[in-house]
Amino acid sequence: MSVSNLLENWSDFRHKHPVEDVPHDPYKWAMSIDLDACTGCNACSVACYAENNLPVVGKERYAHGQAMHWMRIERYWPEDDREFPDQGAQFLPMMCQQCEAAPCETVCPVGATNHTPDGLNSQIYNRCIGSRYCSANCPFKVRYFNWYDYPTTENVWPAEMTQQLNPDITVRGKGVMEKCTFCIQRIRVGQRNVKNEGRVLRDGEVQTACQQVCPTNAITFGNLIDTESKVHQQWKAQRVELAVDEQTKDTEEGGSDLRGYRILEELRPYPSVMYMERVRESAI
Amino acid sequence: MIDNNFDRRDFLKVLGWGGAAVALSGCGNTSIEDGKETVVSYVHAADYVIPGISVYFNSTCAQCEAGCSISGRVREGRVLKLEGNPDSVINHGKMCGLGQAGVQHHYNPDRVREPLLRSGDKGEVITWEKAYALIAEKLNGVSGDQIDFLTGTVSGHLKVLLGNYLDSLSSKNHFVYEAVSPAVQRAANLKSYGMEMPRFNINKAKVVVSFGADFLGAWVSPVHFSQQYAEFRKGVDGQRGVLVQVESKMTLTGANADRWLVVRPGTEGILALGVVNALGAAGLQLPADVAAAVKDYDKERVSKDTGVSTEHLTKLAALLKERTPSLVLLGSAAEGYAHGSENAAAINLLNHVLGNVGKTVEASAAVPYPQIAPATGNSAGLRMVNNRLADGQSKVLFTYGTNPVFTAPAELKFKENMAKAGFKVAFAHYLDETALQADLVLPLNSALEDWGTIVAEYQPDGVQIGVQQPLMEKLHPNTLGMGDILLALIKQRRAEEYKSFDDFYSYLRTALLKNKSEFAAAGTDDDVYWNDLLSGGIINVGGASNKLAGKYSANIQLPAPAERDQNYPLTLIPSVTASLRDGRNANQPWLQESPDPLTTIVWDSWVEIHPKKAAELGIVEGDIVEVSSKNGSIKAQAYLFPGIHPDAVSIPLGNGHDAMGRYAKGFGVNAFQILSRVFDNETGELAMHETQVKLSKTGKRIIVVKEEGPVGGSQQGRKIAVTVSSDQVDLSEEV
Amino acid sequence: MKDIREDIAWAKINTDVLKSLESPRKLFWVIIISALTVFGIGVACELYQYNMGLGVANLDNPHVWGLYIATFIFWIGMSHSGTLLSAILHLMHADWRKPIYRFAEAMTTFSLMTAGLFVMVHLGRLWQFYYAVPYPNERWIWPNFQSPLLWDAMAIFTYLSSSILFLYVGMIPDLAICRDNIHTGWRKKLYTLLSLGWEGTDRQWRNFRVTYLTIACFLIPLAVSVHSIVASDFAMSQQPGWHVTSFPPYFVAGALYSGCAAIITLFIILRYVFKFEEYMTLAILKKVVRLTFAIAMVWTYLNLIEYATVWYSHDEVSKAVLIQKATGTYAPFWWMMNFCGSIVPLIMAFKRFQTNIPVMMVVSLLLNMGMWLERWMIVSPTFSHGYYPWTWDHDQWPSWVQWGVVFGSFGWFTFLFMVFCKIFPSVSMYEVKEMVYHRSLASKKLEVAGMQESGKGAH
Repeated sequence: MSVSNLLENWSDFRHKHPVEDVPHDPYKWAMSIDLDACTGCNACSVACYAENNLPVVGKERYAHGQAMHWMRIERYWPEDDREFPDQGAQFLPMMCQQCEAAPCETVCPVGATNHTPDGLNSQIYNRCIGSRYCSANCPFKVRYFNWYDYPTTENVWPAEMTQQLNPDITVRGKGVMEKCTFCIQRIRVGQRNVKNEGRVLRDGEVQTACQQVCPTNAITFGNLIDTESKVHQQWKAQRVELAVDEQTKDTEEGGSDLRGYRILEELRPYPSVMYMERVRESAI
Repeated sequence: MIDNNFDRRDFLKVLGWGGAAVALSGCGNTSIEDGKETVVSYVHAADYVIPGISVYFNSTCAQCEAGCSISGRVREGRVLKLEGNPDSVINHGKMCGLGQAGVQHHYNPDRVREPLLRSGDKGEVITWEKAYALIAEKLNGVSGDQIDFLTGTVSGHLKVLLGNYLDSLSSKNHFVYEAVSPAVQRAANLKSYGMEMPRFNINKAKVVVSFGADFLGAWVSPVHFSQQYAEFRKGVDGQRGVLVQVESKMTLTGANADRWLVVRPGTEGILALGVVNALGAAGLQLPADVAAAVKDYDKERVSKDTGVSTEHLTKLAALLKERTPSLVLLGSAAEGYAHGSENAAAINLLNHVLGNVGKTVEASAAVPYPQIAPATGNSAGLRMVNNRLADGQSKVLFTYGTNPVFTAPAELKFKENMAKAGFKVAFAHYLDETALQADLVLPLNSALEDWGTIVAEYQPDGVQIGVQQPLMEKLHPNTLGMGDILLALIKQRRAEEYKSFDDFYSYLRTALLKNKSEFAAAGTDDDVYWNDLLSGGIINVGGASNKLAGKYSANIQLPAPAERDQNYPLTLIPSVTASLRDGRNANQPWLQESPDPLTTIVWDSWVEIHPKKAAELGIVEGDIVEVSSKNGSIKAQAYLFPGIHPDAVSIPLGNGHDAMGRYAKGFGVNAFQILSRVFDNETGELAMHETQVKLSKTGKRIIVVKEEGPVGGSQQGRKIAVTVSSDQVDLSEEV
Repeated sequence: MKDIREDIAWAKINTDVLKSLESPRKLFWVIIISALTVFGIGVACELYQYNMGLGVANLDNPHVWGLYIATFIFWIGMSHSGTLLSAILHLMHADWRKPIYRFAEAMTTFSLMTAGLFVMVHLGRLWQFYYAVPYPNERWIWPNFQSPLLWDAMAIFTYLSSSILFLYVGMIPDLAICRDNIHTGWRKKLYTLLSLGWEGTDRQWRNFRVTYLTIACFLIPLAVSVHSIVASDFAMSQQPGWHVTSFPPYFVAGALYSGCAAIITLFIILRYVFKFEEYMTLAILKKVVRLTFAIAMVWTYLNLIEYATVWYSHDEVSKAVLIQKATGTYAPFWWMMNFCGSIVPLIMAFKRFQTNIPVMMVVSLLLNMGMWLERWMIVSPTFSHGYYPWTWDHDQWPSWVQWGVVFGSFGWFTFLFMVFCKIFPSVSMYEVKEMVYHRSLASKKLEVAGMQESGKGAH
């Protein structure tokens, strides 16, 4: 890259808006999670362990906050001073939000975490040197670091347990950051298969492990660009847009009968995951 | 079925095993015995074995009794992951965490690999021949009624074979024991509806009132009900379903309720009758006998007895009257009392009064072949075996699929009584507490290596027979399927009759093909049919419906709420969690590391105490408290939990093993041990919620290992997980 | 107050300083051995951590950074005072810096080298550290130039190389003196090699002056930028408690502050260990103390500004972090930092204490501890109380491995520093001579002027 090239093509290098910067085409992977359907059953989390070779760290490591659950289920209680939580608990599945302007991406010194053209926040394990800056800058704290060498010294998969490991992805050694990938191994297989057929993926042809298993279909994953996709329609119905930091729900009058929102949107990471508010019956 | 119209395996046919001995071992499938890699050249591999491409085999999940059909992802001869079979009417391609952990049952490093014979305190490895010979020898001269078989729920052809074996021993002593089972409900349902397990259509109800039925967590068929729940939330006729949960300790289902009503332990029936009364007051036409039966249950009295406010009672009645159809469910929390049957009857009465029977409570299909219908378990089975052992009536005891030494209350002294039997044989996957007491331990194939058929008790649509087939070659050469062992044993008695069956596979194949004409078009080729059957993994049989009973009895005698015992002022609620249940899966690390949804605790047991009660007793989170009943005490960490009645404490079941391998042994405490010997008056079932306890601090305090942080379930005013009232959203435009 | 004697003979300066290079006292060996022991502990901890993974440091999610980063900033901060004394004061013609700038400059270099270690120790995959270096490669894989951490690595490397150069260039005339006065062994060869044929010719002096001045000018912006960039590691991130615009000047002030405090400590130690009472005089100490006091007040001001902007802002999340610092589990450390950083230096305002060596020793150590705590209080509380309440973790403490490495770094620094003092002249001989000469010249002029005034000049 010469200096003259840089000057001539300045607009190509200049990032005006990280989201509109490179238009995603033909894919922009996104998710929507209906909190009214989520029951907090943990099936998605287990599916994630099974699909993504997540190590079970054991009680002691868990106590030290070194668990590796890419998909964690949070449980919130109502915060008024009622004696009993008589409208139940609220569950929230939290995983990497695959932000469009991801705070983690800019800070990685070696560029191990990157934005892919299809709108994923990718993590290149081989490139990672373990500075953990990405996790430090992640507002959702959904990045998980390999504090120990789980496959070897920790012997997390003793004897035959290794045979369960998914050969489509690696088993990470110590010192590497990892996080939810939207099951990128499934996406890539799907993309290659349809490439041979000369078409793009249709809605539902690629499912994430959590979505596939969810007994209540609370998780929808798909291509936001594809107008036929359920995720696109859900985002549209909730009038949630990817590249803005304030949605109709918050700004327009009458917008309040919508229930789609994104967490910590005001920080402008432009997350790719839309949540839909839990509903509680007013008549009882 | 929920919109799961996509099948990811379009380009890969779901396959069935051509036979029992297909060599699928590939690179990396190490023979454990000799440490050698068994490398099979792919030049000679079967057509569908392509390195790097997964194939899927359908089978049936054996992690619980719900009978979900699963689809195992197999690559290079190894099963990697269990997914749901979309064609199953039970789970429609979905799974729960427990089911997915089935691979960890299969690959568990602590499986028993060789037949073991007790010699002193140690197990000595013996050959199968010797094991069979030993059984033959020990059975010699023992009369049939001195031989007991104690099993968990069995169904399908294994049950048939087991029956035949017992027959050949001229024994009638097959006892089925499930530590956690809806046994009282079965009896109550039989009375109220004319069948033990009708179909519950949550998805057709506008209001569901569940009395302690944790249908999203661990009750009957949670994956199926979760899907119904999702439809129910989306709404019938555009109206979002309303869930009201009534219980003393919040379950996962309670946590998802629109209104969670905490009741004084044991007063569920009173509340049910109170709702009937309130419905009458709200203008619902009640049959005269019902009206008479509930006339004393006015709001004030019910509110006083149960602790539910009259306001909620009125609202609930209004809601039930206004929105029909509704559905009332009855769960373990309501049936776990000495008056459990009466509670159950009162709750079932609500369905009749509301006119739900026939709408949301529908007749289930009868299994057309009763011999393969599930033999469901209860605790009565345990009691009988225990009495027989204590009296010395039982000389030879076989156990399979159940762990009574772990799950029987200590007061029953099952372990001591078991020692009285002359010869104990355990068919086991792991050296669990019961296997450790056995004289002979026979290693079983994992559920993913075995053949079989599974018929679930709860059948949502017709009858689905789940086919269980191996998803890969046996990991350990010296394990055997339960069916194979039974066949070998039966041949000791009736060699001639069974000589044509080399193994259980051939028995199963023959048996299923014999009925081919009833499952498939007549004239289909045997092999083609068999292949299709294995590919599908399920057999759907129509079959006549059971008949719903129209009559019911309004004669329900509920005791007044019990006075609290001064010495043991708290009710112990042993809670059944979705992942650990009765503890048989406690050695699957994914389940141990999966936080309990409500407390987020991992790898341990805990005592749930309401914060108010805890403040009264001076207990804070992490205090090691001693929970003492009349029958013993256990020590566990305290967890302050708002979702529990202040007069109750709750300890989850499933942990507290002192055997079963590295992932189970030494984690938590076993609450089964301190349960009191109180039984349901009518059915004689162990009343799980009748144990009264007291708490005392031990002075020790630890840091609770859990997922939630120091501020617990608080969002600190930040907009993270948001709830909205139903009158503030418009769900009609949603996708 | 006794300052450097103006009539001190140049030959005596040479002997005094050169004496410090020879025949170490017992105390010297004690220091070296204890330093090596402490360093050895650090190395052992690091080896253990290298083998097991960073988990043994008791870092976790969300506490992904801990003492390593805090101590890294601490050492970077220490490095600033050397530049301040040698470069900035050089330009300002403050001659009192001359006897002490050499060791301050050495301190700069060694603390940078120590800081560099922490960058390494902190990495999860230390063996792949070179990914962060923009080395040319066939596949055009570059580091991420957007990352403040990369700026950091570059700034530190530039600063380190410049500091070494500055230290070395400034030492050339003295190395020649060493060469000329020491006649045996490897030292002779070393000094011969390093003094680059210095003969003290006019041309050499002229070139030397220009070079030295150039590097000094180059180093000053570098020193300011390096700690601004370290501040950017935090300020450029999005985290509450870190995302503060005033961080760069605040960090630079803090760096100068801790550096000055360290200079006081080392000043006292060197003065005692090498018997430099003649050169490291109390008058100089007084000046350093006054300078430190001034910087302490600047730091306090910036610190208060930071609290005030957070407190009166509408950034509730940052405010929550601040409140957590003052009232949460870190509160004792946070208050101690404020006490050590803002209250303790007030002692230095009293003339009586400015030259009181025991008091100043204690004060300087307290200041350093305060500044170390400051770094820790910047790094850890944010992790414990960030944006996402579910992941809050107020009870995470460094393990013995982290403490071991932190202590080891002090051993490493002390070892390097003591070895340096034995091999290279830790007092600049030629500059002290200059200083003495200029001073005597000035007083002679004064004398002459005084005599003229009194009318005694005429015969």
